Amino acid sequence: MTGTSSASVNIRNSRILVVDDNRVNRHLLVAVLQRGGFSNVGTAEDGVDALARIGEAPPDLMLLDLMMPKMDGFEVCRQVRANPAWKDLPILVQSSLSSSDDRKHAFSAGATDFVTKPINATELLSRVRIHLENQALLRDLQQYRNRRQTELALARSMQERLLPPPSRLAQARTDLGLSLSAHFEPSSELGGDFWDLRRDDRDRLIVWLVDFSGHGVGAALNTFRLHAILRQMDLSNFDPAEHLREVNERVCPLLRNGQFATMLVGVVDQATDTFHYASAGAPAPMIWQPGDDVPEFGDSSGLPVGILASARYENRDVPLPVGARLFLYSDGASELWTSDDTVLGEEGLLEIARQHMHLPDDNHFLDGVLDSLAALGSFNDDVTALVLTRRR
Amino acid sequence: MDYRIEQNGAELKISLSGRLTFNDHGKVRAMIQEMVQSSANRQILVISGLEFVDSSGLGMILVAREEVSQLNKNLTLRGAQGQVKRVLTVAQLGKVIDIED
Repeated sequence: MTGTSSASVNIRNSRILVVDDNRVNRHLLVAVLQRGGFSNVGTAEDGVDALARIGEAPPDLMLLDLMMPKMDGFEVCRQVRANPAWKDLPILVQSSLSSSDDRKHAFSAGATDFVTKPINATELLSRVRIHLENQALLRDLQQYRNRRQTELALARSMQERLLPPPSRLAQARTDLGLSLSAHFEPSSELGGDFWDLRRDDRDRLIVWLVDFSGHGVGAALNTFRLHAILRQMDLSNFDPAEHLREVNERVCPLLRNGQFATMLVGVVDQATDTFHYASAGAPAPMIWQPGDDVPEFGDSSGLPVGILASARYENRDVPLPVGARLFLYSDGASELWTSDDTVLGEEGLLEIARQHMHLPDDNHFLDGVLDSLAALGSFNDDVTALVLTRRR
Repeated sequence: MDYRIEQNGAELKISLSGRLTFNDHGKVRAMIQEMVQSSANRQILVISGLEFVDSSGLGMILVAREEVSQLNKNLTLRGAQGQVKRVLTVAQLGKVIDIED
């Protein structure tokens, strides 16, 4: 234990409360502390007085005698610790009771540290400094953590607002006869997944599902960039492959080496009964029609966006007649590690989708899939899943 | 993930095993450092022992490719199996990096 004060915390103005029923002792302790550079020192004469003082203005540290009239130091410790607001207050017991039993009782009552009378000024100051520094560092850390949590909660609500509101889903159902249900769950406060829903000039519904590599704050910032880029793009007479080409070209200069996004974008063409899509290395979409026994995978190969500015993409079609269903998901769902330490994989997810594929309600289907996944293992990446049903 | 490096003249072989994920960030940095400092012009990532790669792992392979090619050296991925092979195929990584069976 050293008496040197850390440069990063200021403990000079710390408030110290000296509690001792003996006036001479009180004066001695106050004098030692003042010589040690602490000017903000208060005193109390017994346990009851001490609790009253703490109630008026909680100190940063208390120097506490044990044997006192009215209320002894053990009881003061217990009462201070019983109050959540004071649970971290450093209590430095100073006592002539020095048997190991006395120390044990003091610590179990809530004392932080113990010095024996007669007081050694150097030792006392060293211990006071150490506890004040610890206290100040702890407070710093708590403030930092609180601020960080507040900021992340705000960022999280901003990220959720990037996603289509329920009203847009309801509109797709009334206007186009396309029902949708989606689930978005970042693995930490923020995530690198993103999905969106818009209509082109021919009133066809366009769906995006994007997954930036990595997760957390960095990946989340990229979803905000992409959202801004998508808002600026012309969606008339929508061509998925051409759209991906353009997104990739815009995203490439923004991303650091090693960062990229997988992305699937497609348009529901009700005139031709097809889902017309292009993919940049996204997980394979699943499609099925009423009467099918098992969903089918659509081809989703393609270079992820952000890797090669000159990349080109391919348009693909899958049949999407009335009653057909489309299931899109991020790799957080298929790369689930099961409890026997194997990865689920897209085939495993297909089997889970198969078990729930005939549930007519989109929400029920999605809940069923997610519940099955949760029963198998825990997610360690962002999970987005979206199901779309063509109702008419 | 674990890796083992052996140099044979102008060829550097880096054999990867286990799972390559976000958690291997530090190890991959060290591996890339060794690749960059090596005098070998032809560098081969032998990934036949790799059982799983996630998108972060894929990103790390792309970083390795970038750093090595900046020194005019050639990087090849060799022997991908199972899930790793599927990921490389779906991402069409053959467009930006040499892939051998």
